[in-house]
Amino acid sequence: MREEMSGQDLKERFALIETMIAEGRRSTESWGWVFVLWGVAYLVAIAWSSWGAGQLGGSLLSGTHSDVAWPVTMFAAAALTLVIGLRRGRRKTGTLLGRAVTSVWAGIGISMLVVFPALGFSGRLEVHSFVALVAAMLGAANAGSALILRWKMQLGCAVVWWAAAAVACFGTAGQASMIFLAAVFVCQIVFGVYTMMREARRARGEVAHA
Amino acid sequence: MPELPELNPVIHGKLRLAVLSLLSGAEEAEFTWLRAKTGSTDGNLGAQLAKLEEAGYVTVTKRFVQRKPQTLYRMTEAGRAALSEYVQALKMLLGDAMGE
Repeated sequence: MREEMSGQDLKERFALIETMIAEGRRSTESWGWVFVLWGVAYLVAIAWSSWGAGQLGGSLLSGTHSDVAWPVTMFAAAALTLVIGLRRGRRKTGTLLGRAVTSVWAGIGISMLVVFPALGFSGRLEVHSFVALVAAMLGAANAGSALILRWKMQLGCAVVWWAAAAVACFGTAGQASMIFLAAVFVCQIVFGVYTMMREARRARGEVAHA
Repeated sequence: MPELPELNPVIHGKLRLAVLSLLSGAEEAEFTWLRAKTGSTDGNLGAQLAKLEEAGYVTVTKRFVQRKPQTLYRMTEAGRAALSEYVQALKMLLGDAMGE
């Protein structure tokens, strides 16, 4: 067999291996819906929490319903993510990149679901630290995911979250809340919709190619 | 002068090489996904996958998802080692061919 192979044949085999390994690593999972779902969940929690409080200000956490609004909305969003994710995942090809990205988000997500209820029930949670912690954690998750996927747009989201985390430490509770709302809109809703459109385009392309 | 290595004939086929390379990056892959990525036909892909399975380089799992049959392929440790050895052998041969 060795004798039959020319230098060109060998190069072609090598190129084939490289191309296919890169194809195999390409993530086939869809993530856009998760960003939109969580963006909507944050907005619902904020609106529910502030209901009847008159102003957003400190009511991000100290509104009449905030004791119930945040835990209920967050756990409902987590349950929905798990159920929808499992249903969609069953019909998808799993890639190492997909597992790496899922691991980053699952780790950060579980950290948030453990820390914030504990801080809330112990009465040690206030708006500035809440926004700073959430934004810093989401910045870390976005950065990890962006570096794995080599996705500059998502790295931009990480920078926005980190900037929000730093800025939220200054100013009034109302200003911190507004910063959180703005970051949720840009990094969850806008980025999520953009990602969904990108995934839809890619899916159409793959169907056409197949 | 060191002796040049032989290329593993099981992996050497273009489609089998493509499938193993794809599986090296994917955790597990559906038959339809492999077919789309390689642009091969059902019959040809099925035959090549059977050869890889026979050599112990891939494992196959069949299951039903939402009442639809799904065939999943996963690379084994033996398959990973064989692909790695193949790449090393290819590099040596390529170095030799470039030197000529």
